[in-house]
Amino acid sequence: MLMEGKIILRGSIEKVWERLLDAETLVSCIPGAEKIERIDEKTYDCVVKQKVGPISVKFKFKSVLTKTEPPRHLEIAGEGEDIAKAGHFVQKSIVDLRERGGGEVEVSYKSDVNIVGKLAMFGDRIMRAKAKKVEEEFTKALQERLEGIG
Amino acid sequence: MMKDFEYFSPKTVEEVLSLLSEHGGEAKIIAGGQSMLVVMRQGLLSPEYVVDIKGVSALDYMSYDEREGLRIGALTTHRVIEKSALIQEHFRVLSEMERNLATIQTRNWGTIGGNLCHGDPSGDPAPVLIALDAKLRLKSLSGERVVALEAFGKDMLEVDLEPGEILVEIQVPTPRPFTGVAHEKLMAVQGDAGIVGAAVSITLKPGDGVCEDARVVLSNAASVPLRVKEAEKRLIGKVLKEQLLVEAGEVASAVADPPGDIHGTAKYRREMLKVFVRRVGARALERAKGR
Repeated sequence: MLMEGKIILRGSIEKVWERLLDAETLVSCIPGAEKIERIDEKTYDCVVKQKVGPISVKFKFKSVLTKTEPPRHLEIAGEGEDIAKAGHFVQKSIVDLRERGGGEVEVSYKSDVNIVGKLAMFGDRIMRAKAKKVEEEFTKALQERLEGIG
Repeated sequence: MMKDFEYFSPKTVEEVLSLLSEHGGEAKIIAGGQSMLVVMRQGLLSPEYVVDIKGVSALDYMSYDEREGLRIGALTTHRVIEKSALIQEHFRVLSEMERNLATIQTRNWGTIGGNLCHGDPSGDPAPVLIALDAKLRLKSLSGERVVALEAFGKDMLEVDLEPGEILVEIQVPTPRPFTGVAHEKLMAVQGDAGIVGAAVSITLKPGDGVCEDARVVLSNAASVPLRVKEAEKRLIGKVLKEQLLVEAGEVASAVADPPGDIHGTAKYRREMLKVFVRRVGARALERAKGR
């Protein structure tokens, strides 16, 4: 499943970059994030819970920064599973930051997510819809965070 | 694998409501189970308590009178609605919709109320019933309330039901004279969930043929069944021609925010929504003219 999108944030590109890699910012901005810990220079240990109606899944996964070119380009690879064993997933993402002028930064991402197991049967229709919502909430929270720090 | 749960099979609405109030958010209602068992089998849903209401016979009924309209008990099965002579005479579109809903086995056991409460935006009954201006009667220990079906969907698989509240009845008013309603969905095989679907209702003024009222409702076009008032505005107050239906389809497609998946990209769905609004609108118009 290929997902892509673009978010626009106000702030300097360096600040946006810094915040995007900051575990504490991520855990407070990603909806449903219960734990995001940077365990070494490149690796994050994460637990994220998501809910669709009565169904909830809790993903435990590791994300590794496979390529970083501050403050513009980032590649991430992740792998993990649902705690209740409903599915296992691997994902690869590419994130690009670009200054748009007027103090705005465009963050575009492309993410290729492969899910196997029961979650895959459940349908990417629902997961995509959820991903869109998560993106909106994340953008809003991150923006507030960027403004909060000035 | 399914996790263990405690099973209840109450026989009256009162018993259902007190069980729900006793077990709070840990209890889940099952009616026909045609949607819920799937997610339970997949291990995605594991309620502590399952309240099986299939045996509450007081909620399995249909009645019609011209003034009161149609009343359908929440536990009426799809198959009963499909085959009902009453429905075929007064609400043909409901019978047509049911005929394309899943398989006979599912229609034999699945209930209209269960379908609506599951809150899947790809479901067929909701758009047709919204086009018919249906309302829902909800009941809890603290009383009853009636909500418009178009406001019932809150999000993907989420509906406006309070904890401890159940859907008891679907109420459909008698359509005004010169009203035509139609529904179609895009499917690869009959009975598939619609890749997209549209239900359109058109009411004409007697005599001059001007469109007095219209309702355009889409399935699988957003996180809830989507009524598109902007598209309806293109039709209301005008003598309907093919071009206006094309425009309504374009507006509906632009407002929609369809998902993309293995069955079709979001872009493909948008294109198909144009086609289906126009096509279903044309059929509703023919019916409104009495043809």
